[in-house]
Amino acid sequence: MAETEFWITPAAAIASAFPDGLTELSPRAQVNLRGDAEDASFMTAVKTATGIDLPETPNKAATGKEFKALWLSPDEWLLVGEGEAATLVQNLEGALKGQHFAVNNLSANRTIFELSGPHCHHALMKSSEVDFHPRVFAPGDCLQTLIAKAQAIVEQVEEDRFHIYVRSSFSRYVGAWLAEALAEYRLAD
Amino acid sequence: MLNIDCPWCGKRHETEFRYGGEAHIARPEDPAKLEDTEWAEFLFMRTNTKGYFAERWLHSHGCRRWFNVFRNTVTHEIVGSYKMGEKPPKLPKSAGGTK
Ligand SMILES: [Zn+2]
Repeated sequence: MAETEFWITPAAAIASAFPDGLTELSPRAQVNLRGDAEDASFMTAVKTATGIDLPETPNKAATGKEFKALWLSPDEWLLVGEGEAATLVQNLEGALKGQHFAVNNLSANRTIFELSGPHCHHALMKSSEVDFHPRVFAPGDCLQTLIAKAQAIVEQVEEDRFHIYVRSSFSRYVGAWLAEALAEYRLAD
Repeated sequence: MLNIDCPWCGKRHETEFRYGGEAHIARPEDPAKLEDTEWAEFLFMRTNTKGYFAERWLHSHGCRRWFNVFRNTVTHEIVGSYKMGEKPPKLPKSAGGTK
């Protein structure tokens, strides 16, 4: 993606030493969308522009063609994908013309850590008060909470694979924390 | 530590929230018409209830919505959470505390 090609975050300084199961993903488009979920014309226009049925159930993600939508609040979603953010913003603004909405390109706001492998749940459980046990938190679920006291969005993309969105300025701290959290399991394997 | 039930996100730890003081304080219809003492009354004066109390909370690290919690300020018992504009839940029959 041209726009983000040269972006690096503070976590990049330590990412080469991350243990197996932790990586910082390459930057991707992140667009914040706000609007009234109860307004059918808003939901239809978003579907037209992105192919996504925006999740109305709290803390769920929904996928479309190029982008997925994470539920952030009753009138707010984060659209994430590997396509161009500028094109997505343009498409949304076109489809929603005349309606009451807000679209903002926040791609530089957060970096995404991928936590995977048989111990990723345990590393998360050490880092948060939220219950990430597979019994209650499943693929397709996402939520906002504190990871090691830093605000984060946590999404389970598939079994034993989590994406953790943290603000770039916190990324070195959270990255180091997660690396440390995984360290004890590396010894066990 | 409190476990607070966000009306949208469900039960979460207290550290995800911020406290917003007493609930159901209506903003005066026409602030320009108020005397300073009346304005101060609206801005600053709260009941400081000992016992069951309707209060505002913000899910600041989660969905960032304001909502109300009906809580006993002595025992920390939470009777329930409800959205802005809704009525507080009824007190349980066994309710202790003082009002
Ligand atoms: Zn919430």
